Amino acid sequence: MGAFRIDEADRPHLVRLLVIWIVLSAIGVLAVLQIHYPPYDQTVQGQDQSRTLALLTALATPVFIAVVMMVLYSAVFFRRTTPELVDGPPMLGNTPVQIAWVAISAIVVLFLAVVGIATLASSNVAHAVGQPGRAIGQAGGQTGSGTPGGAGSEMQVQVIAQQWYFTYRYADYGGVETTHLYLPVDRPVELHITSIDIIHSFWAYQLGVKADANPGVDNIFHVTPQKTGSFQVRCAELCGLWHGNMADSEGQVVSQSAFDIWIAQQQKDFEVISKAVPSYAPYYFPEPLIKGG
Amino acid sequence: MAVRTRAYEADAAAAAALDTRLAGIGTWLFLAADLFFFVAWWFAFFYLRALNNHQDWKAQGIGPPSKGYGAIVLVLALATAITYFLGSRQATMAFLFRLLTPVALVLGIATCLFQGYEMWHLGFGLTEGGYPSVFSGLSGAWVIQFALATAWLASIVTQTGPAGDTIVRRQPAASFAWILLYLAAIGLVNYFLLYVVA
Amino acid sequence: MVVSERRLSLPNNPITGIVLAIPGYFAGVWLGTLFGLDDDQNTGIILGYLFATAAFLIGIGFLNYPLERLFGWQVTPVTDPAENTGIGRFFRLSLDHKVIGIQYLVTILIMLLFGGIGAMLIRTSLLVPDSTITPPGNYISLIGLHAVMMIFITSAVIVGPFGNYLVPLMIGARRMAFPRLEALSFWVVPPAAVILAAATFWGGFPTGWTGYPPLSVQAGQGMDSYIVGFALIAVALVTSGINMLATIIGLRAPGMTWTRLPMFVWGIFTTSILGLLAAPVLAAALIMLAMDRTVNTSFFLASNGGSNYLWENLFWFFGHPEVYIFILPAFGIIMEIVPHFARKPLWGYRTGVVGLFGVALLSWFVWQHHLFVSGIAPVLRPFYMLSTELISIPTGIIFLVVLGTLWRARVWFTVPMLFCMGFLFNFLIGGISGVYLSDVPTDVTLHGSYFSMAHFHYTIMGGEIFALMAAAYYWLPKMTGKMLSPTIGRIHFWWMFIAFNSTFFPLFIVGLLNMPRRVAAYNPDLVGLNRWVTISAYFLFGSMLVFAGNLIYSWFFVARPAVANPWHARSLEWQVPTPVPAANFDRVPVIVAGPYEYGIPNARPVADLGGIVGATGGG
Ligand SMILES: [Cu+2]
Ligand SMILES: [Cu+2]
Repeated sequence: MGAFRIDEADRPHLVRLLVIWIVLSAIGVLAVLQIHYPPYDQTVQGQDQSRTLALLTALATPVFIAVVMMVLYSAVFFRRTTPELVDGPPMLGNTPVQIAWVAISAIVVLFLAVVGIATLASSNVAHAVGQPGRAIGQAGGQTGSGTPGGAGSEMQVQVIAQQWYFTYRYADYGGVETTHLYLPVDRPVELHITSIDIIHSFWAYQLGVKADANPGVDNIFHVTPQKTGSFQVRCAELCGLWHGNMADSEGQVVSQSAFDIWIAQQQKDFEVISKAVPSYAPYYFPEPLIKGG
Repeated sequence: MAVRTRAYEADAAAAAALDTRLAGIGTWLFLAADLFFFVAWWFAFFYLRALNNHQDWKAQGIGPPSKGYGAIVLVLALATAITYFLGSRQATMAFLFRLLTPVALVLGIATCLFQGYEMWHLGFGLTEGGYPSVFSGLSGAWVIQFALATAWLASIVTQTGPAGDTIVRRQPAASFAWILLYLAAIGLVNYFLLYVVA
Repeated sequence: MVVSERRLSLPNNPITGIVLAIPGYFAGVWLGTLFGLDDDQNTGIILGYLFATAAFLIGIGFLNYPLERLFGWQVTPVTDPAENTGIGRFFRLSLDHKVIGIQYLVTILIMLLFGGIGAMLIRTSLLVPDSTITPPGNYISLIGLHAVMMIFITSAVIVGPFGNYLVPLMIGARRMAFPRLEALSFWVVPPAAVILAAATFWGGFPTGWTGYPPLSVQAGQGMDSYIVGFALIAVALVTSGINMLATIIGLRAPGMTWTRLPMFVWGIFTTSILGLLAAPVLAAALIMLAMDRTVNTSFFLASNGGSNYLWENLFWFFGHPEVYIFILPAFGIIMEIVPHFARKPLWGYRTGVVGLFGVALLSWFVWQHHLFVSGIAPVLRPFYMLSTELISIPTGIIFLVVLGTLWRARVWFTVPMLFCMGFLFNFLIGGISGVYLSDVPTDVTLHGSYFSMAHFHYTIMGGEIFALMAAAYYWLPKMTGKMLSPTIGRIHFWWMFIAFNSTFFPLFIVGLLNMPRRVAAYNPDLVGLNRWVTISAYFLFGSMLVFAGNLIYSWFFVARPAVANPWHARSLEWQVPTPVPAANFDRVPVIVAGPYEYGIPNARPVADLGGIVGATGGG
């Protein structure tokens, strides 16, 4: 049997299906590319995610159409028309077709993986995580004085989660602690997400940021805002009674000058309670035993 | 393709052979499942040890309980398994089987008692960090399984009399040796991790 | 052999079990107060649940056999043939795989009703964007109970009823390899469900089905239900895995070669491997969690040498194979049923088996895709992204096999066939949305949102439950002896298919629009979509009532007896009479052909039922 010899009985079906598939796929791909995909373009990373979503949808559409078309086509054209049962042609399989199918799906999968890894690398999403204590392959203790990382011009902001709100500490501004997150536009930010009780997840939707807040762990996420505007923050990991209300819609990306005014105000307000809060550290451990009740 | 007929012989001997074969398959499947159970514990050991969160894998003054004591438990467990293994290779009515099986039972009970005694005198509290947690959990899970195996061993011993069940079902009694050997081997790995690597 | 005449004479039935379980519970609680180190009775409650379960199983009669062997008493015949005919056999310990299958079926349908009511309460609460209908505490208990109940159900809903009933019939055996283990795998499920429901007395548990510590360590006593209930399900998975694998390996009829094995049996085989090996890991993790909660160890407490990442790794190392435990039997059902109604051989039998094994194998190497944003080992994320996306290859193979079987077929449009096609549509969406979640950049936005919730409902409900319905309409005539009404069946299908997609497709959009899972309060902008979903969900529940109505109508009102082979199918289970004789096969069948050889000239019938005179070895 020739490698790709097409059976005469198959040919009309194949031609019809091919035409339908090409037409529907073209329409479908054009349609899904009209959609604006979240998390839109407030940050470089968010824009990458939007583009990846658009790409995945554009690739998925022809696959979806192909399979649904095949199922519906079988339902319509391969339906039994005689009143009594008849057996179909005894086709036991076709090795070249199976190999081709596996090869095509392998190519699509590898393409997706390469794109995903490239996006991951270029957008620098959460590229490193501080492990607590003496982690594998990482020297140093957990005293963590001063700023972690210290990567060039990246602004260091710590996100501290607890039941049931987030607070923020600006390492470059004396570890000042605030209740809302303000970020200056066009400046890379290194977020250090941690928790002081149980697991939470810091989700700043419009920023394209989601990272779990674990007790005793410094989870790092890089983000570069490119548009001013407000954003929402909420918890994305079930954390008990008021998890659903662990949200804040007053996050702001502002101009550098507006940010400077705001942070100065925060530092002034903070002066009073600065003695009460622990000194800035990459992460904090909860009280030894959080058990019971 | 070869047609399997083995399982469908009409006579009782073939039926017994089938039961033996199924018991063997079941034993190996159980051991595979149980191995994954212990692998999860070993993973916990290495993970928490490498992480050493809050420097509390082994806090100040915390270390393995007496190495020699652990070695006694291990040797007893190995002796139980090997004694029973040697005995179970003998024909069931044989003198050696009747002699070695009760010896294995005594050794098995001693293993459980020694391990239990050790766990009451650890020298550290369960609340004192990563190593104490893993030690108590892993040793505890192991000794509970070993105790259950010993109880099964007891039922084999009660049935070694002339009318006993073991006489009738010699093959399953023999494949039980693999469970004891397996548990002893797990004990050996545990000893290496908990007392040597620590 | 001299056997003592003594025997245990306890009346073994669920009543005895319950009567023993109650003092068992209090004995456990009492023991816990003696030795417990915590102030919250957690030790007592866990021991109480375990003792109650053990006492229940003793009451059912599981201790008789070991004791009888230990003391050399006469072994009580569990299935006395005289008693084994009435309705009573379904309420006793039975070692007949057919009885166990029906016991499983009824139990799981009842559990499904409760899980579904939970879903309706959740959706009702989401009619409003704040927590006025359901207070947040109740809401979180509700999602936890719904989730864990559904996980219990979906772990066993195909293997339990259909696997137990059909595997021996399909491979030409008279019994299972280990009937007592098989019975045990059923009888631990009702206690697991009751113990889970008991969490409501303690205010439920706050962690959903994932049970993440430290929240699960600090949670109230309802968490103990989660631990013990889930551990019992792990026992069910291991015992059923050992039994199924040993049966399929050791009890196939002569001539039932590996290449003649029906695809449904292959689905059970692969899923049993996963259950056998994954459940012990869960059991270990649950023991650690129980120790953290009772004797104050610190496996999961960062400030005392532990790590919540340990739980997350162990749980998902179990959890990802677990989701394939749900779907592999469903793949088996689809590949089994489609050839019979396409009236064509399975297109690529070996390829389909390779697809099943490919999915089963890869499922061990993907678990950290649940942890892309958790902060664990970021350097490994590309690996887990790739390994997860690779699963689309074997899954695609299974689709190809089904589509190839439909190609130029003579499709007989029965209700099972409709559900198979519904499965293909739903699981396609479920699978494609899975790729979005496996891609790290998009997962950052989608993780923990309604998008992932919609994804797994498409795979589990749209996939596994649609396959279950196909199986029910296809095999229940053999199992119950009554045909289900095809007219109601068609109404059921279209109602369920439309309501399902109308319920869950909008949830992809809700997730993309910033709504996290497991919240009682959400952005008021999304109230319109959420109300649409809730109304659709009521209709979806209604479609399940149509199914229940069909069962009741067909069984009790219009008892249309099923003929032995209503589908004119070739495979072995349809060649035995309906109702299935107690011994399945009078004589050992000799298998001489494959189950799907439709249209092949001079194809022989699948088996020579006149076969060898003799026993299949006991039973
Ligand atoms: Cu939270
Ligand atoms: Cu997964």
